[in-house]
Amino acid sequence: MLSTPAPPTGSRSVAANALRKAGLMDTDTRMRDVTDKPGGRKGHQKSSQHKVRSSLRPGRADVLLGRDPSGSTSRSPMVNARIAAANAGGDGLSIRGASKGSAGGRVRRNAISLNGSSRTGAQVVELWREFVKRRWNAEARFLNLERMAEDDFVVKNQLTPPGAPGSGREAAVIFKLAKELKPEIQTISLAHNGIQTGMLLSTLSHYLPRLANLSLEGNQLKMWKDLDFISGKKGKLEHLRELILKGNPLRELEYQSNRAEKYKSDVARRFPSLEMLDQEAIVKISFDVPQASTSAVHAKRSTVTTFPNEMMPSFVTGVDGTLISNFLMRFFPLYDNQRSALIDAYDPNATFSFSANTAIPTRARLEGFHSSKEMPNQKKLEWPPWLNGGRGGSRNLSRMAGGGEKQVKTLHVGGEEAVKAMVELPSTKHEVSTAPEKFCIDAWPTSHAGGTALFMTLHGQFTEFPSEGIRSFDRSFILAPAPEGSRAKLAGWDVMILSDMLVVRAYSSHEAWRPGPLRVQAGEAPTPSAPVGAPQVPATQIPPQVQEALLQIPEPQRSLVLQVCQRTNLNVAFSVQCLEGNGWDLDRAIANFEQVKATLSRDAFL
Amino acid sequence: MTTLTQNDIEIAVRAADHFTRLYYKTYDSSTRVDDLPNFYRPNSALTWNGTPYQGAEGVRELISKMPPTSHEVQSFDCHPIPGSQPPSLFITVSGNVTHGKGPAGNPASTPNKSIDGHPRVFAQTFMLVPDSTAAKAAPGEVAKYYINADAMRFVG
Repeated sequence: MLSTPAPPTGSRSVAANALRKAGLMDTDTRMRDVTDKPGGRKGHQKSSQHKVRSSLRPGRADVLLGRDPSGSTSRSPMVNARIAAANAGGDGLSIRGASKGSAGGRVRRNAISLNGSSRTGAQVVELWREFVKRRWNAEARFLNLERMAEDDFVVKNQLTPPGAPGSGREAAVIFKLAKELKPEIQTISLAHNGIQTGMLLSTLSHYLPRLANLSLEGNQLKMWKDLDFISGKKGKLEHLRELILKGNPLRELEYQSNRAEKYKSDVARRFPSLEMLDQEAIVKISFDVPQASTSAVHAKRSTVTTFPNEMMPSFVTGVDGTLISNFLMRFFPLYDNQRSALIDAYDPNATFSFSANTAIPTRARLEGFHSSKEMPNQKKLEWPPWLNGGRGGSRNLSRMAGGGEKQVKTLHVGGEEAVKAMVELPSTKHEVSTAPEKFCIDAWPTSHAGGTALFMTLHGQFTEFPSEGIRSFDRSFILAPAPEGSRAKLAGWDVMILSDMLVVRAYSSHEAWRPGPLRVQAGEAPTPSAPVGAPQVPATQIPPQVQEALLQIPEPQRSLVLQVCQRTNLNVAFSVQCLEGNGWDLDRAIANFEQVKATLSRDAFL
Repeated sequence: MTTLTQNDIEIAVRAADHFTRLYYKTYDSSTRVDDLPNFYRPNSALTWNGTPYQGAEGVRELISKMPPTSHEVQSFDCHPIPGSQPPSLFITVSGNVTHGKGPAGNPASTPNKSIDGHPRVFAQTFMLVPDSTAAKAAPGEVAKYYINADAMRFVG
């Protein structure tokens, strides 16, 4: 009765137009990519022509391969009976045939299953809309899409559900319909649909990015890459709390190989927000996640055009500055010249790791540092010693492929391991004592494990050998007072390292943290207000001889020198001396001045 | 003192991954003034380019005066800090941040070579600690963590 129509030229665009008219297809190219070409980006002109030809013989391959459509082998007799009853006049076989897409004259490459040419895309969409409505539980905010191929409505209307052979855009259509549901959908079950590829799910995260619970139970997902189509780690389902993968080869094979723990951790890694997997709780640390409900109320994009503050110098508080400078002045020379000796500075359980941020810094690129005459060796710098060296390579967790093994291998625990890793990293030279302006510290005490620890971050640069190129780095420490009798104390360290994280970057100038105004945009006024606590002195009040002498001081230190001059009445040369002797710490310099001022000769003053 | 197990490390890494996503997404959102302070408590200490702020209220003050931001995390690392159980977390993040309208917001007369408006490199280090007073919301939850210390600087 139904003749098999040749695929009309442009039938796909007809269907697509219908979908667009029905408001159920996006025009953006990303969506077209995933929905138009089930073969992915490889589905270019040539192969799609080939596939259109094969659609002239619908279902042939399935028959030859003995492939069975979703679930029909496991279909219970009761379900079969129900299907038969719902289709008075038809027999079970022909119905099953129809759902296979072999007998209904379906143009398989046509995304929406057209029954002959009598149904438009829009009509099919309306049928799916009705189906979604039937399966929607508004109270539970739950869309139950289990066993779609067996659904009376789907069978009666000869719809091709996602997962069934020949399905194309249906998944996108259904998920888009699901997006329109009110209240917002929270849970979706796609259990037992014979889904073989994660590709079918790619539109799920596009339309339902805030989905909280997803069941994929009893499908045919086999590969980790199938999960990448919905993985929160890939920016997809970032709010997923619960996932069920039971009954998929991906999970079952891992369990059969006694790798359940590895399976759990591999899934958890792909979904940072996940709390439940296969109905078991995942052990995790959580945060006060911003709630969608509160977010919607006050949404207002900032119109501020200036920064809240100027760039300020190193911020060190609540700790004796000499403690920090003693530590750094000992740490870096040893790091540069005798790394193995640093073993004493680490707590026996201390953690050390390094990571490489290989991105090219935009401002440094614009300023041409890479090819500057002043730094002739920048082009000789190479990343592999950082990416692969140091006993396990870079611990950039945002780029880390592979599983938990690498996370463990790149975290070096204890002084001995820390030093072994450091020794294998490129040699360096840090000019901490000769060029303090090239370094910047923020540090303050914090409570830790019932005592006090020092939280410290340091930014700076070093020369790397053998290239003699210059790199920037950030190094963060948790330091604790070295207990009496500890290895650190016996070796003369007042503080010992509990945690040490090193980030190595391409060179950026220390001008980035030069104290002073910050500009958001060219042409706009820089930071308007003077920040709290930093006395700003109008240039006119500075005596001319001081102004002159100040010009000899490098820009980064100038403001500090000026402040010392003004607060102590010392002349510029003595102010510099005083600051140098106190690690360029203003408060310490002033305190030091107060101690010794009685002994200073008249020519120290202005 | 107990040594770190693979499980401890994996939990810490997952937490850091989740945290960095949530934190910068919130920071860059239009609801940041209400949402970003949730990551902090009254005793939290933080610095923004060397200027200190205190607690969730300090964060609110800071963020309400901030031009629009767009962060791109290029690397992050995380350690469970030895000596605490459940462990405090030490997290360092390195990436790009664009403020305002970016280079597109510069006046037409801006020279091509000008760095104004272009993304800056930022470095931010956090210490996250468990909130012993917070109720556990999920069955597998170790604890609810908040930011105890946070130091952010533009470094390029």
